[in-house]
Amino acid sequence: MLTILGGLLALSIGAGFIGALSGLGGGVFIVPGLVVLAHIPMHVAVGASLISVVATSAGASVAFVRDGWTNLRVAIILECATVTGAVTGAYMAGVISPPVLELLFALMMLQSAWFAMTRHGDEILAQSDELCERLRLGGQVPDDDGTMRPYGVVNLRGGAALMVIAGVMSGLLGVGAGAVKVAAMDYLMKLPLKVSSATSNFMIGVTAGAGALVFLARGDIAASVAAPVALGVTAGALAGSRVLPHVNVGALRILFVIILVLIALEMGWRAYSRI
Amino acid sequence: METSIQTGEEDRILRTWTPLILRTILILSSVILVVGVAQTIVKAPGFYVQRFRAIQQGHLHAGESLATLAAGIRHGDSHAITTIGLYVLTLVPLVRVAFTFILFLKERDFVYVTATAYVLAGLIAGMMLGRIG
Repeated sequence: MLTILGGLLALSIGAGFIGALSGLGGGVFIVPGLVVLAHIPMHVAVGASLISVVATSAGASVAFVRDGWTNLRVAIILECATVTGAVTGAYMAGVISPPVLELLFALMMLQSAWFAMTRHGDEILAQSDELCERLRLGGQVPDDDGTMRPYGVVNLRGGAALMVIAGVMSGLLGVGAGAVKVAAMDYLMKLPLKVSSATSNFMIGVTAGAGALVFLARGDIAASVAAPVALGVTAGALAGSRVLPHVNVGALRILFVIILVLIALEMGWRAYSRI
Repeated sequence: METSIQTGEEDRILRTWTPLILRTILILSSVILVVGVAQTIVKAPGFYVQRFRAIQQGHLHAGESLATLAAGIRHGDSHAITTIGLYVLTLVPLVRVAFTFILFLKERDFVYVTATAYVLAGLIAGMMLGRIG
């Protein structure tokens, strides 16, 4: 028993650690880890991962919310879109065959790899567009010299449309889909880089929670797997966030991308050979 | 001007209470999960291996009712304790969204009351959808 439990914990701690360092979250790494290495069925791995994503999001959000990096109003409005997608995705996960899910997961990993390679610098807008102004979505971020600088938010409709897709991916594949959420807020809504990361992290808890509730109510969460995975990924993510300020993430990015592409190819091949 | 004062006060309350809610539920669920896993190691190692192998074969034993789980906890059943820990963890988004809903309702900020009510309804609908299958 200790071998199985120790193996699950080691796998989860590793996934949480790499997920925190890469900024992609533990779900991207724990699902393939459980499927390929622990021979857990895909839908069980997805359920366990969703639970762990809820835990890591809550843990990581505490400091971001307290320090003002999370834009709570943007999060609340966009959660309407992500929850709709997540519930739909989690429901679909119960009817889609495991090989198709694995193939979709492989494609999602390639998208995450592309995102990790192409994420670029900040472009802060001084003014929100009319809709975002009416919803009071703008905020303030500290400048290099510590003075608070206001930022505007635009294109809420475009961002919300991408958030529905992020929600479906989360509920269907058991990931936080942070790569899509951050891309929507960075590229479409023009939020500052750190604000979009913190806000995405905060929203991930509700998105994954919506999916986890569907799985839990359906009886698709295996406590024997989900409990050690949740504890392990949370511990790994905590360690990763502590190490993060002391490592050169830019240099590690290539390594993360190689790992993502290799896992995507392995999962894609497994799925393709069974379809 | 009135709107910005209201927004500032709402934000202050959210930034104070939200981290507290997140941390409290996370710690509570982690403690329950650790107790459940530790008790499994001590009391039911063979049962765990048996259940893990069944899961690998795609056989799940989940879907217990809350009444069954409560009875399991009274008898010190490690599986029931672990499952309750997972349930508590999923309360994180529910409680957090319910809190913001109440706050916005109190402040009569109806755009955000509607948004949080929608999210809350989505979470509850997800549970009901899962029950249906």
